This record gives sequence, C-alpha cells and structure tokens, in this order.
Amino acid sequence: MREMVKMVIVLVVLSSLSGGLLAGLKNKYQERIDNQILTFVKGPAIHSILKDASNDPVADRFSLSINDAEKVFFVGIIDGVPRAVAFEAFGGGYGGDLGVMVAVDVQTDEIINISVTTHNETPGIGSAVETDTDFKNQFAGKKAVGDFKVKNDGGEITAMSGATVTSKAVCSAVQRAGDMYQQVKSQIKDQVKNFTG
Amino acid sequence: MPDRKKLTVSYAPFWHDGSSISTKQYHIIAATMLAVIAGLLRYGAPALGVLSLSVGSAMVWEYLMNLATRRPVSIADGNAALIGLLFGMLLPAVTPWWVVIVGTLVAVVIGKQIYGGIGGNPFNPVAVAYAILMISWPIYLDFNAALVNYSFDFPAAYPLVLMNAYGAGGIEAFSLTDFLMGRQTGGIGATFGLGLIVGGIYLMARGFIRWEIAVSFLAGIFVSALCFNLYDPEAFASPGVHLLTGFSLIGAFFLATEDSSSPVNFIPMLIYGALGGVLTVLIRNQGAHVDGVIYAILIINLINPIIDKIRPKATGRVMYHA
Amino acid sequence: MAKTIGQEFVKGLWEEIPPFRLVLGLCPTLAVTKSVENGIGMGLATTFVLVCANILVSLLSGVIPSKIRIACFIIIIATFVTVVELMMQAYAYQLFQNLGIFIPLIVVNCIVLGRSEAFASKNKVVPSFADGLGIGIGFTISLTVISAVRESLGTGKIMGNQLFGSSFEPFSFMVEAPGAFICLGLLLCVMNMVSSK
Repeated sequence: MREMVKMVIVLVVLSSLSGGLLAGLKNKYQERIDNQILTFVKGPAIHSILKDASNDPVADRFSLSINDAEKVFFVGIIDGVPRAVAFEAFGGGYGGDLGVMVAVDVQTDEIINISVTTHNETPGIGSAVETDTDFKNQFAGKKAVGDFKVKNDGGEITAMSGATVTSKAVCSAVQRAGDMYQQVKSQIKDQVKNFTG
Repeated sequence: MPDRKKLTVSYAPFWHDGSSISTKQYHIIAATMLAVIAGLLRYGAPALGVLSLSVGSAMVWEYLMNLATRRPVSIADGNAALIGLLFGMLLPAVTPWWVVIVGTLVAVVIGKQIYGGIGGNPFNPVAVAYAILMISWPIYLDFNAALVNYSFDFPAAYPLVLMNAYGAGGIEAFSLTDFLMGRQTGGIGATFGLGLIVGGIYLMARGFIRWEIAVSFLAGIFVSALCFNLYDPEAFASPGVHLLTGFSLIGAFFLATEDSSSPVNFIPMLIYGALGGVLTVLIRNQGAHVDGVIYAILIINLINPIIDKIRPKATGRVMYHA
Repeated sequence: MAKTIGQEFVKGLWEEIPPFRLVLGLCPTLAVTKSVENGIGMGLATTFVLVCANILVSLLSGVIPSKIRIACFIIIIATFVTVVELMMQAYAYQLFQNLGIFIPLIVVNCIVLGRSEAFASKNKVVPSFADGLGIGIGFTISLTVISAVRESLGTGKIMGNQLFGSSFEPFSFMVEAPGAFICLGLLLCVMNMVSSK
C-alpha cells in the first residue's frame, strides 16, 4: 500500500513539475515563437498565394474577433486596390490540426489560392500537401462560401493519392475559412478600405 | 556390391552439372555474345567503349575489394566480368564514363562483395546498380536523350516511352519482327531479341540457368499483358510487344536467373518468375516508371527467401525432440 | 570496473559511440542526415536532452520507485525534449522546420532512455553527466560524419559550399532514404575494418 502511494505521489509530482515548467516556458516564449512563425511559415505562405500583391501583406494586417477569438487578416493590394485578404483556418488532419492559409478576393468572393502553413502529416504521404500544387489549385477560383468535399464524400475535389485524410482536412479547413468569411464579410470590407496602395 | 550412388543422401536441392563456377560464368558470357555483337554493330565504337569499361572496371573493383577485405583474389572466376558485361548491356551506348564506373562500383561492392562475395548477395548486383543509377542520374539512362545523336533506319524513340505516353497506338510504327531483329533503341545488349532468345535457350538447354524461372517470367509477362490488352486494346500494348521491348528478355534470361538471389525449388522458381513478369507489366502499364523489369527483379529477389520455403513435404513423420 | 570521469566521457567518443557501436537511435540517424546542418542540429538537441535527463535521473534515482521508473524517465525526457522544441522554435525556426517531427521523436530515441536506464539510474551525478555528454557528443560526431558523406556525395555541397567544382554531377541516391541505410552500413563496415586491425 505504501509503495502504491509513493508511486502515485512521485508520478504526480514529476508530471506537475514538468507541466508547470513547460507551461511557464511556453508563456515566456509564445510571443517570440509567434513572430518566428509569422516570418518563416505564414510569411512564405501568404506571399506564395498573394503573388500579385504590390504591398507586403504580412505588414498590412488587421485583426477581427470571430466567436471571441482574435483572427488576423492579411491584406493584399492588387492593381492598386486592396481587394485580397488572406487568413488562416484549421482542419483536423492525420496528425492533429492542419493550418491552411486562404486568400479571398473581397470583390468577387472567390478564392484566389490556398497554401498549407502548419501540419504534422505523415512524411512522404500526407506531407505532399506542402508541394502538391495541382491539388491546391483546385480551390482557386471557387466561391469562398461553398461546399468543399473530396470526391469520395460527394464533392468535387480530387484527393491526393494515398492521402485522403489530409485532403479532407484541407477541405474542412477551407470550408471553415468560408464560414468565417461569411460571418465577418462586412467588417472585412470596412477594414480593407483603410489600406491603400 | 550395391549401387553406391543411389545411397548417397543429400540435403537441400542441388544444381550442379559438374562444371565449376568459372565455366558457368564463361558460358553465360558466351550466350550474351549474339546480342552484344548486334549492339556493337548498331552503335559502333561508343558501345564498345562502354562495354569494355564496364567489364574492366567491374574486375578492378572486384580486385580492390579482394585486397581490402584480405580475401583470395577472385577475378578469375569470371563473375565480376559477367556483372560488368550485363550491366554494360543495359546502358545506352553513350553513357558517360563515370556513370559506368560508379555503376560497376555499386554492382560489385554494394551489390556483391559487401555480402561476402559470390553466392552471398540477396539481390542481383546488376539490378541494384541499375536501380541506384536510375534514381541518381535518370537523364543519362534515358534512351531517348542519350541516343539523340544517332540516326537509325527505324523510329528512334524508346518503344516503352511511347507506350507509356500514347498507349498501344504509340508503337504502331514497329512490327514484332523489328523488335526481334533489334530494330529498336535501347540498351547496348538488350535490343536484339532473337540473339537474347538464342542465348537463353542455349543456357537453359545446358542447364546453366533454370528454365523454370526464365519461362515463368516470360509467361508472367505474357499473361498479365494479355489481360491488360484484352481489357483495353487501345491503351495497353499486346503481350508480344511487352515480351520483346525494354529489358524483358535480358531480365528473364540473365538477371532473374542469377544464382544466389533466386530460389532453388521447383514451385518457388515458378512463383518467383511469374511474379516478376506480372510485376513488370504492372509497373509498365500502371506505374510511373518506363520499364518495370529492374524493379520487378529487385522485388522478387526480396521475397526469394520466403517463397523458397515452399518445398516438398518429407515423407514419414517428423520427430520433435523435447 | 570503476572508471574515472574522463573515461566515462571518452568511451562515448569511440568505444561506445552511437549509432555505430551502440546501434540505437537509428530513426534520427537515417532520417535527418540529409545535410550537415540538420545532422549537427539533431546531434546537439539530443546531447542537451541526454545530459539533462542523465543528471536528473541520477539525482532522482533514490526517489523513483523501480516499478514505475520507465514512466518517470519518459516524463523527464519528454520534458526536456519539449524544452528543446520550444527553444528551437524561438531561436532557430528554420532548423525546427527542417527537423520537424524528428524533434519530438527524440523522446523515443533509445539512446536517451537507454543511458537513463543503464547508466544514470545506477550512478552518481558527475559520472552520469560525463556519460551523457560523451555519448551525446559521440552521437553528434556520427551524425555529422554520416550527413557529411551523404550531403557531399548527394548534392555536391557542404553547408551550401560547392565542393567538387561545377562538373560534378550529384549522386542523388545518397540523399534518398535507401542511401541512408547504405551509407550507415558502409560506415559501420569501415569502422569495423579499422578497429579490427
């Protein structure tokens, strides 16, 4: 009995110490890490889908609160008009959340392009989503507010071979992005006007 | 006096016709000669260069490995020369010299000597080397790109590439006789179908290679290609074409039958060969690769130890000693 | 039997150098050694985890009940691995991107658990420290050597510097996955040949 109690105590103490240490560290470095992610992950993703923007979308950003969560929107100025916004949404992939950056044309409500920011998909199979442009280009030009499903589920997106779960995750992320866009469309349009070329 | 020979009991199946290792290697080399000479006539001096370099460098690597591992020098058994020769026969005639040398290095050192020399290799050394080179320098092993400066009296595109891109319609310009007589582009020693077949039949008749493997390999190609062809004659070429293009023949007679990487029992040999043939056609018709023979052979090499466990049951009861 | 601190340290550099002598931790060895930079980064991260885990395990060895020791070791190791991951995200984000999933996988690296179990839990702090540091540096050296061979042959470069001049055609097989196995095997073979003389 005493041994049992000791085991429980040791494990509990160890786990809580470890948890406390990590939580503290995470808090302390969160800001730095966010900055790093902005420059190394979101930055390239945004630049790759807003190729035509004449400004730096990473610098021109605003945030809105959607369902009590802060969401950052990056504005792209195309042909002198601030007409593109890019923002991130998540879908559940094979190895946790998969982040997708979606760029939407505010005037036509069409998706300009999408790009994957963070993922933990299986290397070599699901991770192909980073580079598979044929797959991602399927989203370009579609209405942002719509139904995004892979063909197996009755949709019109062709899944990447061998990576159906990952493909579905991308679809659900884009779907959520569309829902969010729908929700705050008017606010986005107001905000975007503040950015001029 | 009882017949002593009948009482000799032996383990494991044997394959021996009384000749030595080197006799066997030299007979196989002799059997390739028809195809090699046809290739030399077609491609001229560069092909001779590639073949000599390939054979020579394979023997040099063998010698160096013998020195490094302090084992008896074994280049005289002809196996290194055979590896070099077969490897050279798969290459385009204008392969750069360093590709040839690296290829024989991989074949002899990584394919064979690392495992303890002749008889120890789990994979066909030639297939290993060719696969590794295909991953590293696909451009030099691409027959269309390599042979661009030759002019032939027949279409100069590699038939398998045409088949891959345009389906059966892509190779209408060829007749089966063309393939048989070597009127197609390809490896130096892999295009002259008739020569390879004659060499193969000679080897099978003399017992230097197992007819079971070669025949079932070709049968595997034939049957599976026929299935594809019947399913959609537009998209998939006829079985005869599959048999006579690419590395099918050289694979069936000279690569798949390599001793230490192929089975020794009757039924396993049939399975081994047939599976290789089926895989070849699957990779060609369904996969992204142009020719499936090399990969198919590596895969059947891989399953060789497992399927070789299929063997006749011993009569009587087996006693287990506790 | 009793070795000096110096001997504990030095044994990790040749006598028990992982993964050549201590054939453990093959997953990172094979997966991340595509470039020298990744190899060194992985080696140093593992060294940090090894040293910290060894120290803590040897300190706590009197407290931890033997029945749940593996669970406790894993908590300790996982804590330090997460620390490394956070630090890398905060200060070396690109390395973090390159190593990706293989950072969290240090937790299941058998070298770390193996040293905790086989050495640190039975020895005092100072020898454990020396052991962890020695093995860690040995691992770093091995990864550097493997990745140097693979990167130089496979891409013709080391840390971005062209090695063999422009006529060199990279032997790209070496940076593919099967090349890792063959490279490791050949280096093991060379090492055995050298030490058997």
